[in-house]
Amino acid sequence: MNPNLIPAVDPAGLPGPPWLFHVLLVFTFFLHLIFMNLTLGGTLLAVVAHLKSGGRRDDFRGVLAGRLMAINNYGISLTITTGVAPLLFIQLIYQQYFYAATILLAPVWFAMLVLLTAGYYAAYLYKFRGAPSRGSGGGLWLSVSAIMFLLIAMIHVAVNLVHAQPEMWGNLADGTWSVFSDPTFWPRLLHFIFAGLGFAALVTAWWAVRRVSEGVDVETNTAIARWAWRWALWTTVLQVIDGFLLLMVLPRPVLRGIMSGGMATLGPLTLAILVGIGLLMMLARVSNPVEKPGLVTGTLSAMTLTIAVMTITRHQIRALYLEPSTAQFSFQIVPQWGNFVLFALLLVAGLATVGYMLRRVLTSPASGADAA
Amino acid sequence: MDYPIWELAMGGGMLMAIVAIPHVIVSHFAIGGGLLIVVTETLAVKRDDPELRELARRSSLVLILVSTVFGAISGVGIWVVAGLISPGAISALIHTYVWGWAIEWVFFILEIVAALVYYTTWDKISKGAHLLVGWLYFIGAYLSLVIINGIVTFMLTPGRWLETNAFWDGFFNPTYWPSLLLRTGIVILMATAFMVFPALRTSAERKAGVLRYLGWWVVGGVLLSYAGYRWWEAMLPATVRNLFSGAEPALATLATTRSLTLWALTVALVVGVVILMVAPCLARSVTAVVMALAAFTFFGGYERLREGARKPFLIHSHLFSNGLLVSDIGAINEEGVLARSGWAARGADDSLTIGQHIFRTQCSSCHTLDGYQSIRRALPTYADFLNVAGGEDTGVFESECGTCHADVSESEMREMLPSPAEIVEDPELIHDLNQGMIYMAVSQLQEMGEAYRAAPSGEMINTAELHSSYMPPFVGTDEELEALVEYLVFVAQGDGVELTANGGGR
Repeated sequence: MNPNLIPAVDPAGLPGPPWLFHVLLVFTFFLHLIFMNLTLGGTLLAVVAHLKSGGRRDDFRGVLAGRLMAINNYGISLTITTGVAPLLFIQLIYQQYFYAATILLAPVWFAMLVLLTAGYYAAYLYKFRGAPSRGSGGGLWLSVSAIMFLLIAMIHVAVNLVHAQPEMWGNLADGTWSVFSDPTFWPRLLHFIFAGLGFAALVTAWWAVRRVSEGVDVETNTAIARWAWRWALWTTVLQVIDGFLLLMVLPRPVLRGIMSGGMATLGPLTLAILVGIGLLMMLARVSNPVEKPGLVTGTLSAMTLTIAVMTITRHQIRALYLEPSTAQFSFQIVPQWGNFVLFALLLVAGLATVGYMLRRVLTSPASGADAA
Repeated sequence: MDYPIWELAMGGGMLMAIVAIPHVIVSHFAIGGGLLIVVTETLAVKRDDPELRELARRSSLVLILVSTVFGAISGVGIWVVAGLISPGAISALIHTYVWGWAIEWVFFILEIVAALVYYTTWDKISKGAHLLVGWLYFIGAYLSLVIINGIVTFMLTPGRWLETNAFWDGFFNPTYWPSLLLRTGIVILMATAFMVFPALRTSAERKAGVLRYLGWWVVGGVLLSYAGYRWWEAMLPATVRNLFSGAEPALATLATTRSLTLWALTVALVVGVVILMVAPCLARSVTAVVMALAAFTFFGGYERLREGARKPFLIHSHLFSNGLLVSDIGAINEEGVLARSGWAARGADDSLTIGQHIFRTQCSSCHTLDGYQSIRRALPTYADFLNVAGGEDTGVFESECGTCHADVSESEMREMLPSPAEIVEDPELIHDLNQGMIYMAVSQLQEMGEAYRAAPSGEMINTAELHSSYMPPFVGTDEELEALVEYLVFVAQGDGVELTANGGGR
């Protein structure tokens, strides 16, 4: 009889050293988070803006809701696209934990696909003013979309917590433990929600400030920038509070691991906290962001940096959760360096092609008979 | 085999089909649609033909809504479902081809960004820039097919990989190029079928010309598909090809599928030539529907053949669909499943529960209790025995007994069985007989494992020669085999559901 519920490491071996896949997992997850923040936070913010505007497009918040969802028509697609790579790499280096966790939560994990489809199409229905709409709104579809994305966030937090705690699998299977009883569940979820709201608000403010500086619809864009800036400020305040709370409720061994991990763990965490507090100061210094376009760009850059650093910390926390288990296993390594180089070259070439295409699009406006 | 099991009433295979079939259709449509739309737009720009351009534009919305939304989500869905129903199997594939998938992801990024830009920039950017975006979309989409085709064909014909374990040996396997040609034909055929719908809305004076234009695409798609299909069949090892073709195919249902597949292609060609090219005035919505059905049937038939010919493997001659490695058969027979898997061992305190856990671990990736591929329906029942013993229904003997007792006639079997009166009087007789039959069947599956072990390594295994060529072998100790038999007898009696509810240990 085998008492160990953790499946064996795949005998096929890793096609590269583990550190490479850890790096790729963190990097691609960071890319995913950028678009995920826009999708989740942007849709939630759009619901608020839509409700505040009463569904009217002559109100600046109605314009903002439409703008956020226009971004999301791209954002949702790119969230899924960028999510593919971390999903691939996690199946490689956390295969035993990830599959076991998703099977233990199988109905909700599968439901994620249904929720995602519903949320995505609801976003399109809002865009096309689908019935049942009110005024020029379609707020019902917007709310449906937001609820779907919120539920998906909950599912991801649940899977993350389960895969990181194999010691709870037996109880979960027996129904004597639930992820909702994990003290970190709600702070983790809120950490994602506040980050999403703050990032989406800041991107919106940044865009509106740019439009004002170009002289486009100055009054509306100024109002949008101020409104979004306030949302960025207050969600960041809540985010910092929630972040400390989350740190405090982490299991003791994990917390000890962070504190005793030296520069490797304390470095990113300290940097994230400092940048987070710096962000707060930058946000609090300005009441009308239109007057300080440089600061707005700086603030957005600082928030992006915070997300990047927190992605590293999040990964380290997972490793600390799993440390007692991963110590039992070792990977067989069967490197495919040639294929990795090919991937890296194609990634650079692919992103360069995307960049070239976007540049061509932005610099080739339709004119006269040549209009496409 | 050492993961928890998700018990799904409809069966994992059915769930995979629900997710994978629409994905495969949509993803191929997305590639072909990209080609047709951008070629159409290119021609429209060159000829200054606004009607043709409008056809491209009308088609592009559906392309976006279907490919970037549903295609992307269902593509992720295949991984999600595979991880839920066959984690060991998908893990093995990902560990072998992670760089392939990573490269496909790069093309996927290009495809998705270009698709979104293409749709949203009609009338907003120059024609040249718009065409560039369209072509980049198609290139990204087609290159993702170039990559995934390597992984999909590898699963059926791993070729030299079985010997070398080298990435490129598996990628450029014997059916790689034929399959790529075939899929190229399919993507064109499917996209053309779809474009007939918007083409019917073209103005009366231009409709015939536009439909003839699409007719040429149909002919091209059919020819490529047919050439690819024939080449694909020719490149299959004879042991695989003989499962569904030749004078006496080993699997009659697959042979029927093959026939249907080729007829569907014929229908597509006839509709394309006769209605779209020769008499476009006859074209109606139903024409598009027939075209689409013919294209889907051909494609679905080919995929069914590919999947069916691969059974019981996920990676032919290497890994079974339930996650069992051919190379692990001996070790698991020695150690036992419960020694390998904590989940199978968990709560397995009596032989009936052990049997249930063995069933879940080894059989549930294909069989449900009462749903798809119901194990209960596959087992002999009290009523079956009564039927054969009473000689009332000859169909039961043929369908239920014929496979294992080909050397025994129905009357001989009747003589061996107790009489119907004896059965009614003492149902335990049937219990013992049933147990004996199930034991024989599972033992044969266990012996089949020895045949797999004895097969020359590094070569494709000829499953047609095996007793149950569709099934993985049973692996485990003799005690585990007996426990499985006990559980199956229990299920045959109609009690499996109750045990499932209280069986402990997922």
